Parts: sequence; structure tokens; C-alpha cells
Amino acid sequence: MANHSQLGFQDASSPIMEELVEFHDHALMVALAICSLVLYLLTLMLTEKLSSSTVDAQEIELVWTILPAIVLIMLALPSLQILYMMDEINEPSLTMKAIGHQWYWSYEYTDFKDLTFDSYMTPTADLPLGHLRLLEVDHRVVVPMESPVRVIVTADDVLHSWAVPSLGVKTDAIPGRLNQTSFTASRPGIFYGQCSEICGANHSFMPIVVESVPLANFESWSSLLSS
Amino acid sequence: MRRLLASRMKFHLLGAFLVSVGCATLYKFGVAEPRKRAYAEFYKNYDPMKDFEAMKAAGVLESAPPK
Repeated sequence: MANHSQLGFQDASSPIMEELVEFHDHALMVALAICSLVLYLLTLMLTEKLSSSTVDAQEIELVWTILPAIVLIMLALPSLQILYMMDEINEPSLTMKAIGHQWYWSYEYTDFKDLTFDSYMTPTADLPLGHLRLLEVDHRVVVPMESPVRVIVTADDVLHSWAVPSLGVKTDAIPGRLNQTSFTASRPGIFYGQCSEICGANHSFMPIVVESVPLANFESWSSLLSS
Repeated sequence: MRRLLASRMKFHLLGAFLVSVGCATLYKFGVAEPRKRAYAEFYKNYDPMKDFEAMKAAGVLESAPPK
């Protein structure tokens, strides 16, 4: 989860999120270079060290056309690389469905047995000491670690969005539509997310908790719940 | 005063370019590279099972309660 004054991304827990964090650093670096250039030139102009009483500026016009084009290409190439990486065919070992309702998520694991459950936020009054307010749920989404997981996201009533920042996942839940996303949890852990599309009064109170565990534990959990 | 604007513009444009490249380099070697190294270091000798056992013992996992 994010700390109270956190500005940056949460630690990446999937390979795609690691790529996104690296790309964000790259894009921010480009933005910083441009902003510092503009600020420097602005300071010069405001302190009257630079004026613009020129009539012919062919060379600089060429420079400030070519350079931005190069900058845009420098941004576009890694961005497209990651976009295609996200859509790679990765043969998921598990498919689960996340269905948004007002105001909870329900999950279905129907690959082997029919496992269906609802996931409601734990009210603050019932929250054990040390647990995270407005983020904990009664039933977590358990997935096997280091395995590609396919998530089919949809909604039952209004628009919702299934998001887990640490895994680099955010997919809109649209009634009447099945959206597909996939992720691979690189390590065991508990990853928190929140509904990311305004859906009514309790939009802020329908969190998502993904618990990534070794395959053996995932299998025993799913057998226990589906029995 | 002859060609003062031209020489000043040349000097300051070079300066601006150096400032912007300098900022980008500072960010790259101050933030981006250490972050990449931190991720590589974390996963170099990472033992997921050991981490999982520690989480299980702490009792934070719903699907793997401590014995």
C-alpha cells in the first residue's frame, strides 16, 4: 500500500510494473530536461539578457523542430515496447473473474472447481489492531506466485475499475463487457488496490486485496473454499 | 555592441542546453540508476519461500495461517 506522504509509485511486484517504473523514470527525466531548459531561458528573458529582435531565424527554427521530434521518438519507443509487452501471449496458468458490484467485488475461479466468493471491505469498527483502514477485505483474492494469471473484469451494475498499483494492473469493469488483463506476481505478499472508477456513495470503500502465495498453498486454499 | 545579441544568444543557448542535460544526468544517476540497482539487488539472492515462511509465521496471510 502507499504510505501517507508517498508521491512515487509503490514497489513493483510484477515484471510489467518494474518496466513501467523504469519508463516513468525515463519520461520524468525528459520532462525535467525540458522544464529546466524552459526555466533557464525564461529567467534569461526576464532578466533582459536575451531579447528577440531578430528577423531571420532559420537555423533555430530547424533546431526547435528536429529536437522535439527526437524527444518524442525517445518517449514513444520504450512506451510502445512496454505496451506490446503487456499484450504478449503468456499462457496464463489460472483464469479468474473479478466482477464489480455496488459496493463490493466478487471473484470466480472456475477453471477446475466452482469457487465463487464476495469481497467486502472490513468496516473500521471491526478492524483488528494494526490492520489497514479502508483497505482490508473479508475475503482476499489468492493467486499463485510467479505464475501468469488472467483476470476477466466486468461489472454487474455501474462502471467500476479493478486496480492493484503494485502489480501494474488497472482495468475498467464495464457492465455487459468482459475486459481481460494479466499479471505475474514476482514474489509472495499482499497487494492492495482500490476501485478506480466512480461508482456511487461507497466507491472509496470497495478495495481489492491480492494475496500471492506458493502454488501448493493456493491449491489447498482453493480446495478448502470450494468444498 | 556589434553582434552582442548573437554572441550572448549563442553562449546562453549552449548554457541552457548544458543545464538541461545536466539536470537529466543528475536525475538519471541520482534516482533512476540507483532504483534499477535496488531492484536488481533485491532479486539477486531473493528466496521467495523464505519470505513466504516469514509472512506465514507473522500470521498476515489469509490462505496460509500460522500453525
